[in-house]
Amino acid sequence: MFREDLNILVVDDVNAIRVQIRELLYTFGFKKVTIARNGAEAQVLLITETFQLILSDWHMDPVDGLSLLKFVRGNPDLKHIAFIMVTAENTKESVIEAIKCGVDDFLMKPLTSFQIQNKVFGVLLRKKVLE
Amino acid sequence: MSPTPVTDPKIIEFIDEMVGFAKTAEETLSQIEKDPETEKSRFSVFSDRMFTIRGTALQLNLPHIAHIAGISEEIAIKAKDASTRAQIRKCLGSLWDALSTIKYLLENHLSETSEEQQFLITRLEDTLRRLGGARPTISETDIEDLLKQRS
Repeated sequence: MFREDLNILVVDDVNAIRVQIRELLYTFGFKKVTIARNGAEAQVLLITETFQLILSDWHMDPVDGLSLLKFVRGNPDLKHIAFIMVTAENTKESVIEAIKCGVDDFLMKPLTSFQIQNKVFGVLLRKKVLE
Repeated sequence: MSPTPVTDPKIIEFIDEMVGFAKTAEETLSQIEKDPETEKSRFSVFSDRMFTIRGTALQLNLPHIAHIAGISEEIAIKAKDASTRAQIRKCLGSLWDALSTIKYLLENHLSETSEEQQFLITRLEDTLRRLGGARPTISETDIEDLLKQRS
C-alpha cells in the first residue's frame, strides 16, 4: 500500500496529544487519520472501518490501551493491524506486559517528529504494510 | 514535533485541558478525605489523572509540572495499598500539597520553579522514599532490546 491509502487510528483521551499526532501524520503524507477519545470508541471504529495502524495512549477510561491491544490481537479480523503504544508509561512490568500482548513498538512522551516518523515508518515497513 | 513552546495560543487551550484533569484529581482527594480507609481505592483515579498530566506536561515542555505529577502518581499508587490510617493521612497531605502546586504552575506556566516548589519536590520525594520508592522503570534502549529479542 502507499501511505496516502493507509487508514490510521489515533486513540488518546487528551485532545492536545491526538491533535498534534494527527497533524504530524498529515505532514508525513498520510491522508486518512481517524481519532478516538478512548479504547471503547476505538473498538467501535475498528468493527466498522478498516485500519492498518493504531497509535494508542495507554491510560484511558473506559477501555485503556492495553485492553484495546488485547482486543485487537484477540480478534482474527484485526490481529494483523500494526499497533504502537503512545505513552509516558515506562514501568518495567507494564512495558513487558504490552510486549507479551503483541505491541509492535512504543512511542515515549515527549514525542518528537523524528521519533514519530521513525517509529511509524519502521513498524509499517517491518510489517510490510507500506511499499 | 519538538516539545511545544507554551506561548503558542493553541497551547493555552491544552493547558486548560490539564486544569480539567487537576480538577478531577481534586474532587477525588476530597472524596477520599471524607472516609480515607473506605475510599482509599480512589487513589487509583488520582494516579491516573497525574499520569495524564505528566504525559501532557512532558509533551508541552513543562518538565517541572511533569516531575511533580510523576512523584504524585507514584505516591497515589502506594497510598492505595497503605495499611494504616496514619500512612493514608500522610499521603493525602502530600498529594494536596502537590496538587495545589500543579494548579499554581498550570496557571503560571511561564514562571520558573521557585525555591518553595523545590522544597515541596524534596518533601514529596522523601514521602515516596518512606513508602518504598517508585516502581522500577525501563529505558527506551532496554525497551528496544526487549522488542528485538521477541522478533
